[in-house]
Amino acid sequence: MAHHPVTSAEIAIHGDHLDNSKVARVKGIAFFIALVGTAASLYLLFLAPEKTRGSFAYSWLFAFYFFLTLSIGGCFWTLLHNVSNSGWGTSVRRTFENLGSTYPWMFLFGIPLLFPQVQQYLYEWMNIQRAGHGNVKEHLHHVDHLLYNKYWFMNLPFWYGRVIFWGLGLSLVIIGLRKLSTAQDTDPNPGTSRLLKARFHSTYTLIIFALTITFTGFDFMMGLDYKWFSTMWGVYLFAGSALNSMAVIILVCAWLKSAGHLKHVTSGEHFHIMGKLLFAFTVFWAYITFSQYFLIWYAGITEETSYFLIRNTGNWNIAMIALVFGHFVVPFVILLQAWLKKNPKALSIMAAYTLCMHVLDHYLITIPERGISLGNIKPEVFGEIQVAIPGAFWGDILAFVSIGAAFVFFLLRAIGQHSLYPNRDPRILESANLSN
Amino acid sequence: MSTTRKRVYGYLAEFKSASALYKAAEKIRDSGFRKWDCYSPYPIHGLDGAMGMKRSILPWFVFFGGMTGTATAFALAYSTQVVIYPTIVQAKPANIFTIPAFFPVMFELTILFSGFTVLFGLLALIQLPRLNHPLFASKQFHRATDDGFFIAIEARDPKFNPEKTRSLLAEIGGDNIELVEEEDA
Repeated sequence: MAHHPVTSAEIAIHGDHLDNSKVARVKGIAFFIALVGTAASLYLLFLAPEKTRGSFAYSWLFAFYFFLTLSIGGCFWTLLHNVSNSGWGTSVRRTFENLGSTYPWMFLFGIPLLFPQVQQYLYEWMNIQRAGHGNVKEHLHHVDHLLYNKYWFMNLPFWYGRVIFWGLGLSLVIIGLRKLSTAQDTDPNPGTSRLLKARFHSTYTLIIFALTITFTGFDFMMGLDYKWFSTMWGVYLFAGSALNSMAVIILVCAWLKSAGHLKHVTSGEHFHIMGKLLFAFTVFWAYITFSQYFLIWYAGITEETSYFLIRNTGNWNIAMIALVFGHFVVPFVILLQAWLKKNPKALSIMAAYTLCMHVLDHYLITIPERGISLGNIKPEVFGEIQVAIPGAFWGDILAFVSIGAAFVFFLLRAIGQHSLYPNRDPRILESANLSN
Repeated sequence: MSTTRKRVYGYLAEFKSASALYKAAEKIRDSGFRKWDCYSPYPIHGLDGAMGMKRSILPWFVFFGGMTGTATAFALAYSTQVVIYPTIVQAKPANIFTIPAFFPVMFELTILFSGFTVLFGLLALIQLPRLNHPLFASKQFHRATDDGFFIAIEARDPKFNPEKTRSLLAEIGGDNIELVEEEDA
């Protein structure tokens, strides 16, 4: 039981603001790395020798989509908080919103993927369609009947339209919700109208979220092999996204708390709930991942099994087995303990560990495709099909560090912009006195 | 009237509210009693802490119950599907690497065995079902299912003392303090 109930006297009336000068150094370094890294990446994507361009396109896609899942997850937790009329999360809601607000920025890193110069190494179906020169359907009818049947969905104008919608739609949603929330911090008569408004607008926009996480996964990742399909794909990516954005939220909250912020409004109880969500989504991820594997393995359909054949060939197999234990068995057993979830430090270690496993997960989603696709698309440049391209992982590291630094920069920037918790939310005391 | 002496179960005291019960529980815990219990119409958050209750051993039962389920399912599926009667479907091999096919059964039996251990382990630990409880002899005790908050301290507690325990209960705010005696069999 807590010592004494938190009262309104202990809520910072003008908000709890991060001292921006304290993070200025980190922010500056992150910005610098992001700037230099992105410049180098653009060179590698567009101007370097073709062999490098081809393999780096995959590096960029991996890093871009990895960080996009974290931002999308921030939007998800914001929407879920609002729509479920949740009381517990009010103290940490601003962190959800801050993480979500990196989405528009992180989506900008997908711009290189809109250029045919990059697409030609990633999306074979686009090459086949571009070879049609105008009369695409007729061309497909002759060369690839599968693409002919998929044409209503997999065609370039629709693809571009969709991608623009994924970029704009969820950005508007999260910017709007965050504005609504932060405007309350300084309102002398806060009232409940914003609360109800946020709840209402989170209902139908949750559909935009669901479409975004599902179909960015289809358009950017599943499209890497146009013959392959999985009905679990969207849910699979969602599970990883919700899990790891919660890991980021835990890390941010634990950091803010250790820096003396979020006083009175968060306690071990909040970390306990966030830890339980981390645990729940660890199980959910395993459930969905196994379901996908199981269905494909059982059915044994050629188009579907290719995904796991590629990823269980050579050393990829070790990584896949490591994923089973590292992403599920180990965190499952560790996160079972209640004391650990109530302890911000111990939970942060698990959150950081979960994020490392997410890197492995997304590496295995994107990268094993590289050696196969490049050898398929341009054997005269990239050589025969191979399990992995030697030396290409340096590009993966560069892309990951560049976009990661940008992610850190935009997240810190968002955290520093407003109060760290919604200090005038009508539910702030309910949340501060949480007991579970 | 019967001349046989009745066995004393202990003292029963009523408290005005959930918070009064909570505070009283903390004081009884601090006076070192072991054999006593709180009775309330609804669950009270944190009362286990106020009573100084130790963590239940049940999770360990459930853990081993669940493990037994996993092992049982694996043994069942492996011995029938691989050893005794290998079923070849779509040219898939029948060996230890077909373990994904056994996962649903392993998962389900883990849940089933865990569920059984929870239910029967809990019943064993709280000694249910039982036909009667000595406190039912009290005329006021039925209110514990309606609007009464009670604490009962058992006479078999080593710290129990007919006078001192009674005055302790009165001191911490207990009303209608009653010495409950077991009914004749």
